[in-house]
Amino acid sequence: MSERRAAFRLGQRAILHSLPGSAAWGVVSGVAMVKGGLAVPWAIMMSLLVYAGSAQLAALPLIVAGAPLWVIVATGLITNLRFVIYSAALRPFFVNESTGKRAALGFFMTDFTFTVFMRAAQDGSLPARDQDAWFAGVCTNNWLTWQVCAISGIVAASYVPTQWGLEFTGTLALVALVGPSLNARPALIGGVIAGVIALLAHGLPFKLGLFCAALAGITAATLTDGWQQRPPAAAGA
Amino acid sequence: MNEPVAGIALAVVIVGLALSTFVTRTSFLLAGARLSLGARIEVALRYAPVCTLAAIIVPDVLMHGPHTGVDFSPLNPRLIGVLGAALWLCWSRNILGCLALGMGAYSLARLYL
Repeated sequence: MSERRAAFRLGQRAILHSLPGSAAWGVVSGVAMVKGGLAVPWAIMMSLLVYAGSAQLAALPLIVAGAPLWVIVATGLITNLRFVIYSAALRPFFVNESTGKRAALGFFMTDFTFTVFMRAAQDGSLPARDQDAWFAGVCTNNWLTWQVCAISGIVAASYVPTQWGLEFTGTLALVALVGPSLNARPALIGGVIAGVIALLAHGLPFKLGLFCAALAGITAATLTDGWQQRPPAAAGA
Repeated sequence: MNEPVAGIALAVVIVGLALSTFVTRTSFLLAGARLSLGARIEVALRYAPVCTLAAIIVPDVLMHGPHTGVDFSPLNPRLIGVLGAALWLCWSRNILGCLALGMGAYSLARLYL
């Protein structure tokens, strides 16, 4: 028991250096929710239940524009698809845990906690035993930080005049998320194509332009990735 | 312009989004060996978020405001704000600096242009 507690404590300490980033994200998503037009109770409910900043920020403009429900949920789902890959990467570490524990660890896994876990697994600082307790420690600190900051942002934002234009912080946060990944050529090509098609298809009903744009971008990025992987000599074969 | 989603419909959206988070995050952890990804699908999943977010950001920056159509003007405050944020991201990953510079440029452009 005390060994598990020690692992939990170590996990709590391992995420400390990521917490400022998590806190900033939390505040921004909270502020953007309210300034984008959600009432305070709804924003708090969304933060607690959804707990995914990028999906929340992606869904927000669609909620405000009154898009069909399935379009809003599907947009959140595509934004969350990266978690499927994270989940596959985490699986070998938790294969022997109970279903309930795997579900809980999965729900609390985010970009930040996944990165901390995989980095520790690579550099050998992950304990050999009680890895679930270690990861629970990581996730607990991250969840507390994010929720406290998001709810503070939600409450504080309702006192800030709308003229300050704080809803734009949501767009900027998405830029900060996307920017670094544009380093890779397939992502850059996919992003540019998605952006251009989003402009061209903006007039489509039900905000379907967003889908066409995302699908076109994903297709372009996947094809580019395939061409890059193929060795040049085999390209003509 | 439609009315914003509200009331029961908003509750349904929030529950749907929560489910989308839960299903994606727990997918392999719960289904395990019964799920398998083809190499192509895995690549597509990897690029899905970037492309979706780009499709959200670009119209949000270039088609904002009362006028219809694309606003490529160098006086568009949102464009100026995003350029400021992008400039910051070229040499630092720090999100606070990115937000500060982006909001600063956006606010100055709105006040003085």
